[in-house]
Amino acid sequence: MRCDLQNPNEPIDPGTSQFVSAASLRARLDWFNKLRWGAAAGVFAVVLIAGVGLKAPIEVRGLLLTGGVLLLLNTAYFLRSRRFKAVDIAIELRLVKVQMVGDLVTLTVLLNLSGGVENPLLFLYVIHVIIASLLFKGREIFQIAWLAIFLFTAEVFGEYFNLLPHHHLPIAGEMAHELPFILMTLGSFWLVILFCAFVGALIMRHNRAIKDELVVHQSVLMAEDRAKTDFFRFVTHEIKSPVNTAQSGVETALDLGGESLAPSVRDVLERAVSRLKQATKIVQDLADLTRGGVLKEENLSQVDFNDLVTATVDAQRDLAARSGIEIRLLLANPPIMLTTVRNMVETVVANLVNNAIRYSREAGRVSVRVVDTGKRVRLIVEDEGIGIEENEQGLIFDEFYRSTAAREASNLGTGLGLPIVRKFVEELGGTIEVDSRVGHGAVFTVTLPRKSRKRRR
Amino acid sequence: MAEKTILVIDDDIDLVEIIRVTLENQGFKVIDAQTGERGLAMAKEQDPDLILLDVMMGKVDEGFQVAYELRSNDVTAETPILMLTAVTDQTGFDFDPAKDKDFLPVNEFLEKPISPRSLVDMVRKHLPTNV
Repeated sequence: MRCDLQNPNEPIDPGTSQFVSAASLRARLDWFNKLRWGAAAGVFAVVLIAGVGLKAPIEVRGLLLTGGVLLLLNTAYFLRSRRFKAVDIAIELRLVKVQMVGDLVTLTVLLNLSGGVENPLLFLYVIHVIIASLLFKGREIFQIAWLAIFLFTAEVFGEYFNLLPHHHLPIAGEMAHELPFILMTLGSFWLVILFCAFVGALIMRHNRAIKDELVVHQSVLMAEDRAKTDFFRFVTHEIKSPVNTAQSGVETALDLGGESLAPSVRDVLERAVSRLKQATKIVQDLADLTRGGVLKEENLSQVDFNDLVTATVDAQRDLAARSGIEIRLLLANPPIMLTTVRNMVETVVANLVNNAIRYSREAGRVSVRVVDTGKRVRLIVEDEGIGIEENEQGLIFDEFYRSTAAREASNLGTGLGLPIVRKFVEELGGTIEVDSRVGHGAVFTVTLPRKSRKRRR
Repeated sequence: MAEKTILVIDDDIDLVEIIRVTLENQGFKVIDAQTGERGLAMAKEQDPDLILLDVMMGKVDEGFQVAYELRSNDVTAETPILMLTAVTDQTGFDFDPAKDKDFLPVNEFLEKPISPRSLVDMVRKHLPTNV
């Protein structure tokens, strides 16, 4: 049975543990369908090899007919599944039961045609009961178990009392009228079937209970996560005003003091301003990081990616020039139009280029390339700067993590630039990769879809 | 040259004092109000040459309301309004000055924290006659 691995960020579908969605039932029906092709093929193979090839005295016509009916029925199920969408759960549930009963009857007919109690394939009933315990709950499982018991017992006694024809299985002894053997076989058959139904029901009930518990726990965790984000937003908002005002205050003091300030006083105040700017940046970054649901239809627009990258890079040329850094820009030809959220892409490009400049060496080179890869577009930002230790490359996208080299280079980073880049890139449906060697620079490669859309759920 | 009067409407008293020092140092007269209501009354009463208005005081959109009312009042309809913003992180409230300028009746948005230099530049830029 298909079992998709859940994305831990997405809620577990409660329908996967119970019959609450028509679609989950349909998936199971389709799985049955595949098994049944195998069963029909098995019947034909046995008939052809034993009956036609080895000329064994078996009921070729009857078996082929039953195999044919199975094939026809399965084709009908298959076409129905293709044609009609699973909508009504009651209909799907009834179909599962009808198919199950049909399969048990077909198995009984096949057994009757191939020796009845003499045929060890009677244990195929067990498989049906196990499947039933995967699909149904408590009483329904036992209904299938009792039906299997009834059909097989009726078949065996039908043959014993000559109410049904007996087709002897050439490889077995003549057993259809041996009462002690019949009773022993039926006894163990009943025991195995009922035991399977019981254990199956027990395990599945336990399994479903665990899953239900998971659903509940996950929703609690998700609510806590939302509460944490809300708290971050609240703190961000509350801190923003005092920090802003403090920065304006110190800048004003510097401005008013002018040349009359002692150099040491000026130095202290300038340090205070740069740290307040850092605090402001952290607050702004935190706001970006905790803002949710930006990827809405109304925020999407057509963006010329070449133009966006050019403008964003140009805005940072002054900063680069101050350290004698040259930025090389290589654009895509022809231009690429993206359907995306403009300011998210701007932030991604700006943060990566800004990092490349800040962590470059004096007079280093930064290269920014836009590459068209067909369905997607790639942005490659490369620098020749300090680089990132290999064991830190997975950590630099975590909030507030700053690599050792970055901390040594500057104490003014926020540790939030790359987490924001990753968050935005992922929200836009893209990916980000980093490749770096310490002391030799870093290459960040962002891949974005041409058209971003709201993610499922 | 008459002394130009700037009305500052903001509930952050410290910021008001910082703005006051900066602007008075440049020869402006500064009057202030801590609430939108008081600001509106002062604007009508004293007809300032320019208004600095905080986007968010008690309520999320108080600054916007005040701006609309200033624009619909005869005395202040033409008075330049510079709006001080720090709203980009506000819960459920997102706006883009570049995009929303046309919908809001203010002359300029100034993002906090405001440096004294840019504050003075903006005030001079928007005063009716250059001072």
